[in-house]
Amino acid sequence: MKRIIICAVIMAVLAAAMELFGAESTENGQPSQKTEKTLLIEGSTTVGPIADAFTEVFNKTYPDVKITVTKNGSGNGAAALVDSRCDIAMLSRFMKPEEFKSAVDKGSMPVAHVIAMDGVCIIVHPSNTVTELTTSKIREIYFGKIKNWKELGGPDMPIVVISRDTSSGTYETFDHFVMKKEKMAGGVEYVNSNPQIHTRVKTTQGAIGYVGVGFLDADVKGLKVDGVMPSKETIASGVYSLSRPLFLFTNGYPALGSVTYKFCTFYLTEKGQEIIEAKGFVPVTHY
Amino acid sequence: MRIFVRTIFDKTFTVTTYLVVLMIIALLVIILGPMLSRGLSAVIFKDTIEFRKMQFALFNRGVESRILQETKETNAFRQKIYQTIDKFKQGIDTEALTEKARKIYREFGQQLRYKELPPEQFTILRTQAKEIRDKLETAFASQDKSEIASCINNVLQYRDDQEFKDTATEGFFKLALEFKNSVEKTDLSKHYLYVKSLQELESLIIELLGPRPDEPLPSTAMNQFGSTRWDIAQRIRDKILWTEQWVEHKPNESLIKIKTLRAEQFAGTDIEPLFGYIKDNIEQILKPRAKFYWQYFIDDSTPGHYFGGVGPEILGTLLLTVISMLFAVPIGIIAAAYLTECSSENLIIKIIRMCINTLAGVPSIVFGLFGLSFFVLFFLPLLGFPSKPCILAASLTLAILTLPVMIRASEEAIRSVPETYKEASLALGAGKFKTFMKVTMPAALPGILTGIILSLSRVAGETAPVLFTGAVALGPMPSSIFHSTRTLSYGSYDMAVGDRIAMMVPHNQYGMVAVLVMLILCLNIMAIVVRSRMFRKLHGH
Repeated sequence: MKRIIICAVIMAVLAAAMELFGAESTENGQPSQKTEKTLLIEGSTTVGPIADAFTEVFNKTYPDVKITVTKNGSGNGAAALVDSRCDIAMLSRFMKPEEFKSAVDKGSMPVAHVIAMDGVCIIVHPSNTVTELTTSKIREIYFGKIKNWKELGGPDMPIVVISRDTSSGTYETFDHFVMKKEKMAGGVEYVNSNPQIHTRVKTTQGAIGYVGVGFLDADVKGLKVDGVMPSKETIASGVYSLSRPLFLFTNGYPALGSVTYKFCTFYLTEKGQEIIEAKGFVPVTHY
Repeated sequence: MRIFVRTIFDKTFTVTTYLVVLMIIALLVIILGPMLSRGLSAVIFKDTIEFRKMQFALFNRGVESRILQETKETNAFRQKIYQTIDKFKQGIDTEALTEKARKIYREFGQQLRYKELPPEQFTILRTQAKEIRDKLETAFASQDKSEIASCINNVLQYRDDQEFKDTATEGFFKLALEFKNSVEKTDLSKHYLYVKSLQELESLIIELLGPRPDEPLPSTAMNQFGSTRWDIAQRIRDKILWTEQWVEHKPNESLIKIKTLRAEQFAGTDIEPLFGYIKDNIEQILKPRAKFYWQYFIDDSTPGHYFGGVGPEILGTLLLTVISMLFAVPIGIIAAAYLTECSSENLIIKIIRMCINTLAGVPSIVFGLFGLSFFVLFFLPLLGFPSKPCILAASLTLAILTLPVMIRASEEAIRSVPETYKEASLALGAGKFKTFMKVTMPAALPGILTGIILSLSRVAGETAPVLFTGAVALGPMPSSIFHSTRTLSYGSYDMAVGDRIAMMVPHNQYGMVAVLVMLILCLNIMAIVVRSRMFRKLHGH
């Protein structure tokens, strides 16, 4: 008797679930299985939002294409492309030599599509009087040599140094351009995501951190680096040094006219660039 | 004396237990209270007309005639805002004005070409038009009122010229007049300040009201509507009415924040009354209304969970939980049966048991990576299925994750069944299998169910094991177990580490977490009810 009840409950849940599927799929008016195409996208959490928005608009034009987006980091995106677990890998950095090598060994040729530019901005609390830093000063702050804002002409406040975790693409960009691959001081506080670093700086008076240009708003103050204010123009023109391209990688150049091709070239359309701007990144072309 | 000490120990013990219980309750309130109450704001809130428009456009919900009527009513109020801004802009946005003047000049050139005039006259008219254009441009670029006035007057002299009647050049004169009027009221030295503040104001108004009705719709849903919630609308209203600035109050100290009325920045201009207007008419502009958005639990969402609900996430979580239980429960019970009934206490059993206990302490991300390399990359291709993350792989991974808990709980439950039950059954001639199925299992079921409850909650809430094996941030509804799915746990993670969207819709973030907690609570309550029923039946009440 009890087992029957359990079975009944499980069955009911399953049935309800299946029912929901049926209802949903007919509601959306999805076509039959034959014409269905799938596109699996995997990788960087930075590029993810762009892919999300692309999917939304892309699906309006091509409703029969089923697109899934997974955001689990650049490294995993590259690995998934190598294993051909996904069609498009999102990376916020270029593929590493060993990833490239293992891809070639497995017979696939990764092709990079640069879809947008992203700048890494140095941010401080808006109450800070410092408005400008040089790369070498930032380096000294992250090395722990400068410990008080007073030394930089600011108020008498200890500097709270905040960095992204070492596995993020943002960290790698910062590491490459500012730290020149040298280790940060022990007192640096590591946080896991851009929203977190933003909140931390917003609420801490003496804090300094770095985020993608899309996170620059009225709650935090972006600093000029070597005399250049990070903005769309300065990043796109390369005048602002702390910028990087964002990539989509495919296995070989996608067949012309295929769904993958259309998705990978979507950033060239006016809509695509509008989305990239709306998401706080810098489009690679002017429209 | 010894009795006295004992009483003191007893009393302290009682007090300590009370204190600990109180602490746990306080912790629960501190942790769950804000989460649930803020999560509730995703479902119960005051919506605005923008919300109703969004619901109609995205989910085809609501009465069309009524929404159209309301849109019309609100647009009537909004029109005044747009008009005021446009009017003010005519004197401020000189770049756009210059562009306009150039366009008119080009158009005029086109018109002249089709008029078949004698060449000399053509040249004269064109040169005059060019002069007008250049004068206008000088006026637009100038900061000096007298210079502007003389330029504009120069331009207006041409107005009565017969040759210019009914041509594109009439646009020049209109521009000139409008510019003259607006310049009279503005302080040109503040020009830069106006431009900056106006830009800010315009973007805030787009945030509040959405794109203008006569403008083309942006392509992503999140930019197509204004603020859909009254609480957010109020926040934006405050930002429109007040500006925040960080200013120095003492040298070499931190800046302090001061709030000023934005209206003061625009004092004396056409735009000044706009702020009072917005303040007084915000309710007519947005029409707030109390809303119980129960569809939050079934609705799909736009990318990044900006609009919509958590329907696919709930479904995915339930699917993963149920399917993983289908694997974990039978295997767990059979393994427990082997450990208790079919084997004697020897070294191998001890090693097995130790391994199971170790497995219970393995971090979940390890299971996730194992699931990726074993199920996705090895097991599925072995069976001839595509080697892609899917519900099946995720469920199997979760099943393995929860097996140790299942086995331990079932083992304890089976062991606690009195030996006499089994002996009686065996004495009556039942076999080992029949005894287990008919006597031991039923008696142990309540304990086994406890194990299932614990596993259920853990499975529903795990993120790491499904991260690589079957969860996606965005995707269509799965139509078979070989598709990947969205889940509540991965969705929460995705929102937390994702982009700015989550920072703009904290209610949705809290909502998703609250739904996950509620779902686990519901699963637990269901299991507890079933368990107590079973227990009562078993004991013949």
